[in-house]
Amino acid sequence: MENSKIVIGYLIYLPIVILLTIYVSKALFKNGKTFMIDIFKGKEEIALATNKLFEVGFYLLNIGWALLVLKISYRGVMNNQTLIEILSRKVGAFSIYLGVMLFINLFLFFRGRKKSKENTYNKNNPEQINL
Amino acid sequence: MNIISYLIYLPIIFILMIKIGWVFYKNGEVFMYSIFKNDPAIVKNINNMLLIGYYLTNLGYATVTISCWKRIDSIEQLISFLAEVLGKIILTLAIMHYNNIFWLNYLSKRNINI
Repeated sequence: MENSKIVIGYLIYLPIVILLTIYVSKALFKNGKTFMIDIFKGKEEIALATNKLFEVGFYLLNIGWALLVLKISYRGVMNNQTLIEILSRKVGAFSIYLGVMLFINLFLFFRGRKKSKENTYNKNNPEQINL
Repeated sequence: MNIISYLIYLPIIFILMIKIGWVFYKNGEVFMYSIFKNDPAIVKNINNMLLIGYYLTNLGYATVTISCWKRIDSIEQLISFLAEVLGKIILTLAIMHYNNIFWLNYLSKRNINI
């Protein structure tokens, strides 16, 4: 049938997308642990808990989005060339989206770190505040 | 065809929701202590209540959506429709997840007495 190529496309897209998400998430939140421990100033329990919560959120967001954009709506007969082109567009767009998400998360990590350093500075120098 | 899709959809959604409920249950406990002034009994109780409420709403919603299922005729429709429904629910879960994180954070920072 004509739509068997679409099914093949789905079955190629899904594993690629899921593996990408898992890989990026593991990398991001393994290195994020150091950030978290730094932000929470050694309170390891809270740091790990926050890290885990953000990691789950990241997974949910990305897998949900990947599933939503899965649908390939192609009228007529598809040949292998069109299949490869459509697949490349979908996988490529998702990779770009993952990259953007990664950078947003990095930005949030850095901002959290800056805020926690500001708090320590204010605590250690009270006379700076009472100007 | 529809029955096959139900049989795929239900386990996936149930497992997902139970796991995510647990993640919040275990990891949120740390934050609750700072809100409820280190009272272990109250923290456990509220955490349990939240977990039960979470399961009820989410699993109930997932079960209800089965009644509004389009008619599925082929494997391609199966995969694409499943992906669409799962995607929507997972994204809603993500929004609620971040909402929970926000409230946990806000309440512990302000040290509000509930």
